Amino acid sequence: MQKIMIIEDDPLIREELSLLLENEGYGVVSVTDFTDIPEQIRDCAPDLLLLDLGLPGQDGLTLCSRIRKSSALPIIIVTSRDSSADEFRGLSLGSDDYVTKPYDVPVLLARIKAVLRRSAGVPDADVLAVNGLQVSLTRGTVSLNGRCEELTRNELKILAHLMAHAGEIVSRADLIDVLWENQIYIDDNTLSVNITRLRTKLKDLGMPDCIRTRRGMGYQL
Amino acid sequence: MTIREFLSDRLGKITGQLCCTVAAALFLLATGTSSGVIVLLLLFLLLIFITTQAAEYLKCHRRLSELNALMQGLDQKYLFFECAPPPRTVYEQKLFELMRCSGRAMIGAVSDAQASMQEYREYIESWVHEIKTPITAARLTCRHMDSDSRRKFSAELAQIEAHVERVLYYARAESPERDCIIHQTDLSDIVSQAVGNHRTLLIQNHMKVETGDLDFTVYTDRKWAVFLLGQLLQNASRYRKIPSPQEDESPNTPEETEAVSSSIRLAAMPCGRRIQLTVSDNGIGIPSHELSRVFDRGFTGSNGRLRGGSTGMGLYLCRRLATLLEIDLQISSEEQKGTSLTLTFPARHTAETLQNCKTNPY
Repeated sequence: MQKIMIIEDDPLIREELSLLLENEGYGVVSVTDFTDIPEQIRDCAPDLLLLDLGLPGQDGLTLCSRIRKSSALPIIIVTSRDSSADEFRGLSLGSDDYVTKPYDVPVLLARIKAVLRRSAGVPDADVLAVNGLQVSLTRGTVSLNGRCEELTRNELKILAHLMAHAGEIVSRADLIDVLWENQIYIDDNTLSVNITRLRTKLKDLGMPDCIRTRRGMGYQL
Repeated sequence: MTIREFLSDRLGKITGQLCCTVAAALFLLATGTSSGVIVLLLLFLLLIFITTQAAEYLKCHRRLSELNALMQGLDQKYLFFECAPPPRTVYEQKLFELMRCSGRAMIGAVSDAQASMQEYREYIESWVHEIKTPITAARLTCRHMDSDSRRKFSAELAQIEAHVERVLYYARAESPERDCIIHQTDLSDIVSQAVGNHRTLLIQNHMKVETGDLDFTVYTDRKWAVFLLGQLLQNASRYRKIPSPQEDESPNTPEETEAVSSSIRLAAMPCGRRIQLTVSDNGIGIPSHELSRVFDRGFTGSNGRLRGGSTGMGLYLCRRLATLLEIDLQISSEEQKGTSLTLTFPARHTAETLQNCKTNPY
């Protein structure tokens, strides 16, 4: 399990953030005593540091460059200072990414994932599999029992999201949100069209009722 | 100072001298001096008079043009008395002292105002940073709500953020050199970030976003450009055509939303050595007689009154930021057809000069 250390002085954000990250399957250490952070980092050896810049009694940027001097620990600066000049300073002092508050939860999670992956040198999971149905993200195909269908970009993103949340009900609004995050600006109509096309392709593969419509709630795989 | 002005200034003095001379000449004539001598004397006096007046005129003229040139060269005109050459006569000296005293009071008032402006700006900026902490906390906490309330809650939060952002950029536009960095940036990045930032609003309003060719590199400050574009997206979705109520009632099913097809189109094309981004919508448009004033501070227009919630600050800020970034911002609109804004980004060398003019953060 990868360990993430949160350095954040606002108690509510600290609490919510650690809850969020724990739910995502990370180990979380929250710093509550801001006096000797480098030592605390040495003691618990995290895989990633989420660093707020506005800490009581010290400047987060100085801290960042101090940590960077002694270790290669990935650091994501999470701050409300959002000008280009601040960002430039943050990145030049050795942080790996710079996220500004207020952040979108999915965006923050994606950035954390990306930094961790980069530091570990592990490629992204390419194949998702649920009930024998396999989706290859790099090839853009879906296959079942050796038969294969090509998917469009929209269909691929929709199916991948449904598979990542297999068994759960995914609302249309959530699906649209996910697609917009991926620069696919579709509306309600287009989503319906895409779902219909996706269903046809899955039917051709021999899984006709794979995506169920839950009336008034959304879709379920 | 013209000769006429110079003479009219001295009219009293000259008349007095003339009277004295005439009186002296009459006196000499009465005491038996021959008229030939008097004429000679008068001619001589006239010559001296003209020479001295001419010399004085030239002196005045030279000094005035010197002071004029000084004034022209000054950036802050109210500093004039601090830089002016010292006066030569006692009378001038006294006047000068008085003026300088008044000038000093003015300098004090101006620098006080500047300092308090600066403090205010700094306070606004730190306030904006403070307010972002509770907004972040609220964002994180609203995850626990059910999907519907969460969406409504996030939409409200997004509105709060939009207002906060405007305040921040308003303060920033006052001293752009502090946080504006011109970079080589992908236009598609700017667009996808701006759309991403406002996706809650856009999705909620069923706006269709179409993107054309955006594969261009522009030279600008990414954050400022994203903010600027964000204002345009917000406007497009605020001033969309609102369908009649029965169509709007249940926007969750595709059949009903079919009638509503508000859309925004973002596309770019090269324009000489510059890149031109066009943001066009099919909203309610702006009446032509208001078009020239939409960039004015606080101008809300008939649409603003109709839809409410308009502050008249969005486009004003856009124009200000665009000017600072040397982006040419043009608007065209047709009522009931839509509005189209064109942003022409500066060519590379212009942007580089712009960056070099500032205190270089690199």
